Amino acid sequence: MEASTVLQSLISGLTLGCIYAALGLGLFVVYGVTRVLNLAQGEFVMLGGMLTVSFCSMGVPLLGAIVLAVIVTIISGAALYLLVIRPAKNASGSTLAFLTVGFAYAIEGTTLLVWGWEYHSLTNFLGSSSIHLWGATIFGQAPWVVGMTVLMVVGLFFFFGRTMVGKALRACADEPLGARSVGISIEKMALLSFMLAAGLGAVAGATITPLTMTAYNVGMPLTIKGLLAAFLGGIHRAEGVILGGLLVGLAEALSAGLMPTGYHDAIALGILLVVFLSRPQGLLPARSGAG
Amino acid sequence: MSPIVDKAKQRAARLVPMPRVPRAALILLVVIALLPVTDSAYLLSILIKIGLHAVIGMGLILLTGLAGQVSLGQGVFYGTGAYVSALLCLRFGISPWLAMPLAAAASGLLAAPIGRAILRLKGIIVAGVTLTVNLIFFYLVVSVSDLTGGATGLSQIPRFEYPKFMSYTTFVFYAVWLLVILCLVLTTNLVASRVGRALKSVNVLGIGTEDTPQVLGIDVMHFKVAAYVGAAVFAGIAGSVYAHHISVIEPHTFSVQTSVLVAIMVVLGGVTNPWGAIVGSALIVGLTELLREVAPIILGGPTGSYELVAYGVVLVLTLLFLPDGLCSLPARIQEWKRGRRL
Repeated sequence: MEASTVLQSLISGLTLGCIYAALGLGLFVVYGVTRVLNLAQGEFVMLGGMLTVSFCSMGVPLLGAIVLAVIVTIISGAALYLLVIRPAKNASGSTLAFLTVGFAYAIEGTTLLVWGWEYHSLTNFLGSSSIHLWGATIFGQAPWVVGMTVLMVVGLFFFFGRTMVGKALRACADEPLGARSVGISIEKMALLSFMLAAGLGAVAGATITPLTMTAYNVGMPLTIKGLLAAFLGGIHRAEGVILGGLLVGLAEALSAGLMPTGYHDAIALGILLVVFLSRPQGLLPARSGAG
Repeated sequence: MSPIVDKAKQRAARLVPMPRVPRAALILLVVIALLPVTDSAYLLSILIKIGLHAVIGMGLILLTGLAGQVSLGQGVFYGTGAYVSALLCLRFGISPWLAMPLAAAASGLLAAPIGRAILRLKGIIVAGVTLTVNLIFFYLVVSVSDLTGGATGLSQIPRFEYPKFMSYTTFVFYAVWLLVILCLVLTTNLVASRVGRALKSVNVLGIGTEDTPQVLGIDVMHFKVAAYVGAAVFAGIAGSVYAHHISVIEPHTFSVQTSVLVAIMVVLGGVTNPWGAIVGSALIVGLTELLREVAPIILGGPTGSYELVAYGVVLVLTLLFLPDGLCSLPARIQEWKRGRRL
C-alpha cells in the first residue's frame, strides 16, 4: 500500500465527505424544526445541478445561473411544504416521510420529462487544472466543494446563533409550544426550514456537478448517503451531521482505495452500519435539555 | 347424538378455531379461475407481476400494518429468495418445487439476525437502516459474481414442472394467484389471532406503545422480529416464483428502487388491510404498464418519466385525502353518508 494511495483516498474522502455533510445539513435543518425526515433532499441537490447546467447553456454567466437555480429550487422547497407537508396535519412521521418520497418521484419524473435521461456536467468553476501533490491528484473542483461546505457550516452557525430568525427556528426545534406562546409562527418557521434546506441543496448541487455530473436519477442515492451521514453522526446536532458526513465519505474513499475492488462499496457501508448500530443515538447525541 | 357429545364438540371448536376464509377471498378465487380465458401472454405476465408484488406487500402488512415497523428493504429478501432458489436448481439440479420452500426458509433465516440488530431502533430510523441494508445487499450481489453472475445476473433458471395442457404463463398465473389467496387468508387469520393482537399492541404507529405490552409480559422484540421474519418469508417465496417464472434474474430487480416501490404500494392500498397489498400492487403495476407503453406514444417524451410523476402525484394525493389508504375508501364513503343523514 503506497502512501500516495492513502493520500489520494483521504483527499477524495474529504471531498465526498463534504458533499454528504452538505446533504446531511439539509436533512438536519428540516428534521430539527419540523421532525419531518425529508427524503426529497437529494432531489434539491439534483435540481440545483440540473438548473445551473440549464441556465448556463442559455448563456447566463455561471454565478447568475447558480443564483437563478437556487431561487427556483427554493420555490420547489416551498412547494413541498405548502402543497404536500402542511396539508397533512397530524400525520405520523412515516406518513410524512412517504409524502416526501412522493414529491421526490414527482420531481424526478418531471426532470426526466424536461431534460431527458442524459448525464450533464459543468466546467470547473475556475479553470480545469488539477493540482498534483506527492503523487495524489486534487481535481480542480474539489477545493470549491470543500469551501462550499465550510461556508455553509459557518453560515448556518452564524444564522442559528446570531440572527433573530435563526434563533426563532431553534426555538421551534427545541420547544414548539413555548415558541408558539412567545409569538413565533410555527408554520412560517417550518416553511422557512424547507426553503433553507432547498437552498442549501441547490448550492451543493451546483458546486458538485463539475465533479460528479448530474442526471434526473442522482437524487435518491444522494438522499440515502445524507441519511446515513445524519444518523451516524446524530441528526439532532449540526456538528454530528458534519462528522457523520466526513466519516461516510472517508469510509467510502478509503475502502475504494485499500479494499479489494468490487467489494469496497459493501464493506464501507457495512462498517458504517455496524458503527451506527453500536451507537444508534448517533456519535454526537443530542445534548440533554436543549437540542 | 347426545347433548354431551354436542357440547364437547362445541368446546373443541372453540379451542381450535376454524381458519376463517373471508368471503371476498373466495370471490377472488372464482374470478381468477375464470380469468385466463384470454390467454394473452402479455396480460397474464402483468397479472403475475401484480400478484408477486402483492405477496411481498402482504409481508409488509404484517410488518408495518400489524407490528408498526416501516421497511424500505424488502428487496433483500425478494432477492435472496430468487437467487437461492435459482442457484439451488442450477448448481444442484433440484426441482424448483423443492427449491421454493428452501429459498423462503433462507430468506427467513437471513431476516432473523438482521431483524434482531435493527429492530432495537425506534421510529422512522428503522426505515433508513433497511434502506442501507438493501444497498449493501445490492453491492454484494453485484460483487460476488462467481456465485451470482454479478451485474448480468443468472439465466436459464429451470421452470417449475407443470401440467402440459396449459401454457407455462397460464400455469404461473394460477400458481401466483393461489399463493396470493393463501397469503390473504393467512394474514387475515393472523390479524384476528392471539399473535395478531400481540403484534397490534406493539404497533407504535397505531394504538400500541412499546412499554405497555412489556408490562403485560409480551416480549416486544420477539414479536417484532417474528413479523420481520414473516415478511421476509413472504418476499422470499415471491422471489423464488419470480426466478422460475422469467428464468433470468439480475440484481437491479432487487434494488432499493423496487423496495421503495413495494412500500409505496402497501401505503397506497392501506397498511392495516391485507387487501391493501393487492389494491396497491394492481394500481402501481397497472399505472406503470399503462404509462410506460401508452403515454410516450401519445404525449412524446422519454419512456419512464410519466410513471414517476404519476407515482408521486398518486402517493401524495392518497396520503393527503385517504391517509389509511385506498382500502379505507368504502368506510370513508359510509361515514360521509351517515354524516349527511344526520
